[in-house]
Amino acid sequence: MKNSLLIVSISLIIACTGNNQDPVYTPTAYPLEIPVGFPEMNIPADNPMTIEGVELGRKLYYDTKLHSNGEKACASCHVQENSFSSDKAVLPAVNLGWSRTFLWDGSVQGELEDIMHHEVTNFFQTDVSVLQGDPEYPELFKKAFGSDQITEHEIVLALAQFFRTMNSGNSKFDKVLRGEAQFTNEEFLGYELFFTERGDCFHCHATVFMTDNSMHNNALDANPDPGYFNVTGDSLDFGKFKSPTLRNLVYTAPYMHDGRYSTLEEVIEFYSQELQKSPTVDPLMKNLSKGGIQLTTEEKAGLVAFLKTLSDSEFTTNPALSEPQR
Amino acid sequence: MRLTVFLASLLGLLFIACDNDEPDPNSVTVNLQFNHLVDNVPVQLDQLIYKNALDQDFSIKTVKYFISGFKIHNPDGSTIDFDDIHYIDIREPATLSYIFEDKIPPGDYAGISYIHGLAKEDNVTGSLGLELDQLMEWPMMMGGGYHYMKLEGDYKAGSEESFFNFHSGGLDGVEYEINVDLTNQPFSVSKDLNIELSMEIQNWFKNPVNWDFTYFGSGIMGNHEAQETVQDNGIDVYTFAVLETLE
Repeated sequence: MKNSLLIVSISLIIACTGNNQDPVYTPTAYPLEIPVGFPEMNIPADNPMTIEGVELGRKLYYDTKLHSNGEKACASCHVQENSFSSDKAVLPAVNLGWSRTFLWDGSVQGELEDIMHHEVTNFFQTDVSVLQGDPEYPELFKKAFGSDQITEHEIVLALAQFFRTMNSGNSKFDKVLRGEAQFTNEEFLGYELFFTERGDCFHCHATVFMTDNSMHNNALDANPDPGYFNVTGDSLDFGKFKSPTLRNLVYTAPYMHDGRYSTLEEVIEFYSQELQKSPTVDPLMKNLSKGGIQLTTEEKAGLVAFLKTLSDSEFTTNPALSEPQR
Repeated sequence: MRLTVFLASLLGLLFIACDNDEPDPNSVTVNLQFNHLVDNVPVQLDQLIYKNALDQDFSIKTVKYFISGFKIHNPDGSTIDFDDIHYIDIREPATLSYIFEDKIPPGDYAGISYIHGLAKEDNVTGSLGLELDQLMEWPMMMGGGYHYMKLEGDYKAGSEESFFNFHSGGLDGVEYEINVDLTNQPFSVSKDLNIELSMEIQNWFKNPVNWDFTYFGSGIMGNHEAQETVQDNGIDVYTFAVLETLE
């Protein structure tokens, strides 16, 4: 009991003496809105979302100062009107707060902070001194994290906070699930194909996120690119790539890890009759021996119609996610 | 006054609890280890080396499934029930063993039982967390919930060669979970209970129905006859042994 009182007393003394340290650091909790029907997002305890942190992350996202040569920003390849994808065949940065596997080859696994760390240190090779010498950033970092001494760590945290706000869940598909809209007959045909073994899209493009967050060889090539093999060194992983989300697919062309297909029709034609055998093709591609699922013209049109219902134009035009005014 | 009485009672209870030197009667840990066999030897993945009862060749590439509703049966017919749900993936070593949080008393037991798959009340989409949703979700279009099992591989029957997706689950409101009853195998427990559960994969394909890959085809999720057959054949798929130690 005496020990407890002593600890409480010491804590109070420390708290009181700390009062005059930093009156500027009073971040405001960010009211993250989770789309209806989505599960709760796991937010690391050491990176709580704040309005100041999200705004800083947003500014960094659009700023070429993040790049060591000042040539690129995140937004250079992940463009909002393309559902934060682009014609460079990068994976769309959508709903990544629920992802645990990142990049086509799955080379980063963990939380958003892990992929942001990869981007800052490896891809952008950010020169922290550039941000430190900027007239605005030290103050913004102080507001977000309590110190105007910028480190890579806080850059990572701020970017991760902004990425956790890039959530899309208001497509026609979502509205149908919520009972607010109805599929046309053609869309419903595609929906049936998608979620039954006739089309069998759902095993890899699972849940409301339209991805199983896993690695597969989808029979794209007889001699596939190495993919996940380059990460694990396991020959069983040769030719495997991450299942991309299909949300906002109409905005994210071109398709596949190498961007070989320009249209949804080409993609569906591939799954219908152009599958290629290789040793590690996923057994989920169960019509491999027939070259594909052999869809009729009507079924192909239905599948395209359904995939288009995954489009959320509110997300691609959301001003809270756009480039902040300078 | 009420608060004082409450705090005094709480302190009294704490003292009583601290003074109690009686050993915990539930002192034995229950460990499970999962084995997967074909023709009574450990399965070799990705090898087209097995034959079913109809002389069709097959390989095994994927074995993912749930067990739940585990019970240890007392000789008097009563049971010790565990409400854990465990997911097993043959390619994920961490899933091939499981330690129950609840312990049991030492003594004599009549056997075990459990569900291969999920009980109806547990088979609810979204209830097992996002990771398992993404790995095992069963589409709402076919009734929702989760796959009970994904067993996948190649088959070769005559000139026909293909993948098979032996995926089981509840279909359109019909639950096809398998109640595994291994209560005719008494054992005694004096220290930690190590149970080795073995799945004989070959038995999914026989007794009472010889599985014909060409008849059932590559995918069976929407096929009631196939789901019923999986349930019927699953009756003798599992055996268990009590081990001194687990590997």
